[in-house]
Amino acid sequence: MNDHEKAWQRLVKAARRAPGPTDDAAPFGFATRVAALAFESQRPPVSAFARLSLRAALVACLLALAAVGVNYSAIRAAFADDAAPAGIDDPVEEVVTIAS
Amino acid sequence: MPDDQSFDLAGCLDRVRKRDQRAASDLVEYLHPLVIRICRSHLPRRVAEEDLAQEIFLKMFTRIEQYQGSVPFTHWVSRIAVTTCIDHLRAQKRRPELRWADLSEREAEVLDSAITSENDVSPDDATEAKELVHKLLERLKPEDRMVIQYLDLEQKSVAEISALTGWNQTLVKVRAFRARRKLQRFYRELIEEERS
Repeated sequence: MNDHEKAWQRLVKAARRAPGPTDDAAPFGFATRVAALAFESQRPPVSAFARLSLRAALVACLLALAAVGVNYSAIRAAFADDAAPAGIDDPVEEVVTIAS
Repeated sequence: MPDDQSFDLAGCLDRVRKRDQRAASDLVEYLHPLVIRICRSHLPRRVAEEDLAQEIFLKMFTRIEQYQGSVPFTHWVSRIAVTTCIDHLRAQKRRPELRWADLSEREAEVLDSAITSENDVSPDDATEAKELVHKLLERLKPEDRMVIQYLDLEQKSVAEISALTGWNQTLVKVRAFRARRKLQRFYRELIEEERS
């Protein structure tokens, strides 16, 4: 053992004699708080039904969007027909046209 | 190591796995002495021992399903504690320099006496010696510091350190050897600085 090692051993021998904290028990309320935190952070997983419901809703939304995309031209045409001049079906205008 | 021999650890663990909060609280009470001693021995600067203990217990509850019983439960928990302390010590990144001028007058006297005198350091200087030892250990890598702390300050055997840390005995010996060499270098630097 060299001089440095001997000096280190003398130091640690003295350090071992130093008084340390004697109370190792958990502080009041510590265990309850930690247990509550532990179970709060480990919530039970979402049920299979809830998970499937969420997926089903997502798939339904995507299908609705795809249906709108595929039938876009037909939908647009239907709106265009609705916006056509209403005069053709107007009976008053028809009578006036015949009379003139 | 918890002292209470009457504590039904296996039963308590079963109840904790069934999410019994009272059993979890009992388990924390039972393991607190073990965990707090590890925290105090390897406490990083600017970290409160209670916060560190809480983090260790929360990790323990998160991983409790992984405990297979191949090692005693207290060893399994101390490994979580040791790993958590090392992670915190690593997070400090910079290890503080130690210069002779940083030592208090008493600490400098104690160090000088340890180096020059063949006699033991006086028991009255135990607190200063402990502070000095911690200042020197803070300069080591967290794993090396932990090994020296267990070997020299807590006087644990290589086998005990291996059980507590999960490192094999050869690794513990290698770390101890490396740490001692570094400590000797720090010592030399301090002494040369004092003499210059």
